[in-house]
Amino acid sequence: MKTGKQIRREAKELFRMCLVDGVLDETRVRQVVERILASRPRGYLPLLKCFQRWVKLEYARHTAEVESAVPLPFDLAARVREGVEKAYGPGMTTEFVANPELIGGMRIQVGSDVYDGTIRSGLAELARIWGVSSRNGGNAQA
Amino acid sequence: MADLLKELEAEITGVRATTARQNVGTIREIGDGVARVEGLTDAMLNEMLDLGHGITGLALNLEETEVGVIILGDYTELEEGDEVRTTGKLLQVPVGMGLLGRVVNTLGQPVDGKGPVESDVAYPVEKLAPGVIRRRSVSQPVQTGIMAIDAMIPIGRGQRELIIGDRSTGKTTICIDTIISQARLNRAAKAAGDQDYRPLYSIYVAIGQKQSSIARTISVLEEAGALPYTIIVASPAADSATSQYLAPFAGAAMGEWFMDNGMDALIIFDDLSKHAVAYRQVSLVLKRPSGREAYPGDVFYLHSRLLERAARVGEKYGNGSLTGLPIIETQAGDVSAYIPTNVISITDGQIYLETDLFNQGVRPAVNVGLSVSRVGGSAQIKAMRQVAGSLKLELAQYRELQAFAQFGSDLDKATQAQLNRGQRLVELLKQNQFSPLPFSKQILIIMAGTGGFLDDMPVAQVREFEAELFKYVDSTNPGILRAIMEKKILDDQLKGQLQGIIKEAKQQFVAAREAVAK
Repeated sequence: MKTGKQIRREAKELFRMCLVDGVLDETRVRQVVERILASRPRGYLPLLKCFQRWVKLEYARHTAEVESAVPLPFDLAARVREGVEKAYGPGMTTEFVANPELIGGMRIQVGSDVYDGTIRSGLAELARIWGVSSRNGGNAQA
Repeated sequence: MADLLKELEAEITGVRATTARQNVGTIREIGDGVARVEGLTDAMLNEMLDLGHGITGLALNLEETEVGVIILGDYTELEEGDEVRTTGKLLQVPVGMGLLGRVVNTLGQPVDGKGPVESDVAYPVEKLAPGVIRRRSVSQPVQTGIMAIDAMIPIGRGQRELIIGDRSTGKTTICIDTIISQARLNRAAKAAGDQDYRPLYSIYVAIGQKQSSIARTISVLEEAGALPYTIIVASPAADSATSQYLAPFAGAAMGEWFMDNGMDALIIFDDLSKHAVAYRQVSLVLKRPSGREAYPGDVFYLHSRLLERAARVGEKYGNGSLTGLPIIETQAGDVSAYIPTNVISITDGQIYLETDLFNQGVRPAVNVGLSVSRVGGSAQIKAMRQVAGSLKLELAQYRELQAFAQFGSDLDKATQAQLNRGQRLVELLKQNQFSPLPFSKQILIIMAGTGGFLDDMPVAQVREFEAELFKYVDSTNPGILRAIMEKKILDDQLKGQLQGIIKEAKQQFVAAREAVAK
């Protein structure tokens, strides 16, 4: 019976096979999935789940999610895209999302790295300093 | 109002104006006080993480795609998908004199309802032990107030002495007696204005114990007036395994503050068996590989890095010390089990308590034959060494001959005399709990025993005589006890005086008994 550790190891191995010169090859990813579904080896569902996680993490590492309170003008969006590629190298995918809850400013997340210059985060920081629960809107402590 | 405006301005200016890079992750799985967080690529080992809702965690497992985090707080508020941030800080606890007299939890937060703890210094919970060069050899005694220990298994400031035994053999009682004894000495020295005396502060770390037991301990210390010199770090059985795992390290951090500031402290870990069990639980939930008895492979390192933090540092580094009294509970007297052997090999000696002795009425139930202090006489004052040497020898001889006790009438006079002496010495070493004795009185009564003054006294009257002797010396010649502690050595004159007092007290005692008998 395949243990969780074995499946994780195999999923990682399959993921490595899908990298070409350090970049994820989508064609290979599809081929791997098709082959697994066709042969359905023992434990294929957890294997696919693990493999999916690896692909998702790789995708997140090469994707910059840019959130702003209002949609960005074209030239600003281009500058942001340029800045992300300069910091993280070519081949980055930049996605733009409008989120009015940010109130103002911009939040960029690339993998685990976050650059948060939004008004919402500034207010949250002030709330943390003054000991106010921003979620419940509690009273400031004396 | 103007002050308030300035304060507000300062706070607003203090908030980050520029956008800095933060490292975040997302909770993928949570349960049993442990969260698995995806992301957090910059997380460092033992780094504090902010899980939101005012809850912090510690990064313990750094894996390729995720981080295993132990949660310090109520993890029921957390959900899958919650964001986790790195803080760049290690876990710290408040330290300082403000903690004396307080009962705190693992994070140093007060749980005694006496308001916030006054402290402006924080020490990291995990810290490297002092190096070889910083250390100094142990030479100052810790007065436990228990004769059997102070005379034959002396503990020095900066030593680690393990207290090991089965359940209900008096392990915690020895530690509480030590705290009470030291508190009395601290108070007496302060009242006398003795500038040369170095007070010893105590830290009692309760790990995985019943809350009723902790409450009883606090009550005993309070009644004895020892609480103002004691910090209690409570992580009872109801606390999470994470909290119980970290509690001894938090206590050690508090003790290190005293050591680093040129003071002496004593830390009691009650007990490390439960600590090992808590660490085992945390490790298993983190899916770390398990070894012997399902303990993780680094369970030795868990205790060695903790106990190595107890040390005496040299004068150049403050001349402070931290004495460690770890407690280990054995099962059926098995000292060769995994955790007991680990801790025995780490410490500088052990005090072995036996259930058989306890049941026979020998309390404290110290097995003097199996107990040892690797520091030994270096931690004793000369006066105690003078009387204790013969005590240990006579008890050893008694133990050898004990098997023949049932043939009492068939033995030669010398053997019979040895047995008689041994029985009286064993009786002498019995002591009530929470009744520590100062060194001077210990020296007096041991001298009475080893000097043969009790040989013609019925064994059952020995303890009664002991109480009468102390009353006699307190009322007729209290100065002689002070003289013992001032001179720290028994010269011929002092010996003569002490023997005279013992004889007089004995005469009075015997006369009183005869009068009652008539």
